[in-house]
Amino acid sequence: MTPLPPSEVEPHPWRGLAWLTRRECHRVLKLWKQTILAPVIAALLFMVVFGLSLGNSITEINGFEYSVYIVPGLIAMAMAQAAYSNNSSTIFQARNDRYLDDILSAPMSAWQVHLGYLVGGAMRSLAIGGALTALALPLTGVPISHPVELIVAVLLLTTAFCALGVIVGVYAQSWDNQSFINNIVILPLIFLGGVFYSVSRLGSPWEQISHFNPLFYVVDAVRFGFLGASDVAPLVSLSVVGVITLLLLAWSQYLFSTGHRLKP
Amino acid sequence: MTPDLASRSPAALGIKGLTKRYGDGTLAVENLDLEVPAGSFFGLLGPNGAGKTTLIGAVCNLIRITSGEVSVFGNSATSMKARRMIGIAEQEPNLDKFLTVYETLLYHGGYYGMDQAEADERAGQMIDAFDLSDKRDVEAPKLSGGMRRRLLLARALLHRPNLVILDEPTAGVDLELRHELWSYIRKLHEQGTTILLTTHYLEEAESLCDEIALISGGRIIARDSAEGLKRSHGAETLEQVYLKTVAGGRIGLAAEAERQARSRDMDPMDLGDEPE
Repeated sequence: MTPLPPSEVEPHPWRGLAWLTRRECHRVLKLWKQTILAPVIAALLFMVVFGLSLGNSITEINGFEYSVYIVPGLIAMAMAQAAYSNNSSTIFQARNDRYLDDILSAPMSAWQVHLGYLVGGAMRSLAIGGALTALALPLTGVPISHPVELIVAVLLLTTAFCALGVIVGVYAQSWDNQSFINNIVILPLIFLGGVFYSVSRLGSPWEQISHFNPLFYVVDAVRFGFLGASDVAPLVSLSVVGVITLLLLAWSQYLFSTGHRLKP
Repeated sequence: MTPDLASRSPAALGIKGLTKRYGDGTLAVENLDLEVPAGSFFGLLGPNGAGKTTLIGAVCNLIRITSGEVSVFGNSATSMKARRMIGIAEQEPNLDKFLTVYETLLYHGGYYGMDQAEADERAGQMIDAFDLSDKRDVEAPKLSGGMRRRLLLARALLHRPNLVILDEPTAGVDLELRHELWSYIRKLHEQGTTILLTTHYLEEAESLCDEIALISGGRIIARDSAEGLKRSHGAETLEQVYLKTVAGGRIGLAAEAERQARSRDMDPMDLGDEPE
């Protein structure tokens, strides 16, 4: 076959962004049992097991049955973990196997590459959140009291954990590093952030200490969106989550803009 | 390309004062100047660690340079336009493990700005050109070494770049495939594509390249046509030039004697088979 001469076509960076986003979604859907089904089943088991086992002994929290009260926190936890683990693993794998080079050398700007990876993780996180919400509504009767605040909280939560995943994926030296952050940092902080209880029940000083846990505000903001009940004012929790999101986004964008640890 | 046209066109690759010092303090390339004319078939030869891959990384936006300027057809190497003009086949297969052969090519076309129909058409053309039809729906990790090499080259050429950089493209490739690949690359060059080749196979460089630069210790130490290099160094073969210049003559005689002894019962194409 005779090769064609060089093309004079101008670069289309927006198309590059669209294709990178598509590639990330393609990866999520190709591994759907692992990326979507497993986290949904795990969160459902939490709802059923904890709701049934503790539901009889804890009558209600803030006016809600225990099986209903834990739903928003469990959905937030599943979404946060999915966003984080998706982006940390996809970036680390691309770095480790060096196929990231094909993207870094392509005519796309740093923010477009960054955004492409963020959207992939967000798609996975939102798919899990949507599936869990659809299942939890008939199972537990959880209400959606403030849909606008819920959407804002979920978007901030997803973006923050996608950016955190990018950061860890860029710095990680091994698979152990990224699972370490998930198991030793994110999961305990989410549990201690009031997924299964209201921190107002802890009493002083643990209630005050809980307010230094950033993930408490993530859980509380999502809970307000669902139940209309929260431990702090929704404006406070959304503001804290917003600031955290901006800081993490700025950090992950810095990594792509400078090539720090992505390029030797 | 005619000399007149070449003199009017910006260089395919212009490097001025390129220096790269890695984080551990290693000075890989120091104040390097290099100009590769548009339309040329240019060879870059040097031992492992000479700075070839660093230089390629600087051109392809894959390393952070310490200082200097790199331009591609007159555009800064970091610009979108320059990146669109470069196609690179790296030495180590770096293929996306989640994608099939077809998807690898399709997505690469997309990253380089093609729409679905265009990327699909080009992917099909490259699959045919590189005889990958039987492996179209096979994922990259399941391909043999030779098939991966074909796919790397197909990916590098898919978006029809003006400057193709081939970093040891035939390392570990059997003779038959090597001839097929070079036949295709030659045709590509005849169509006007500039080729920058690094290889350990000196015979390949001698037969393919219009011009050759020898790099050692992060500096260009000689540059000319293969004949010019042999003439100016009083050598009969390019290998002798390489050993005299790159090895500084220290191991030249011993290595040449060893080579002659080995060449009696070895394929001369095995030269430089050690991994980078």
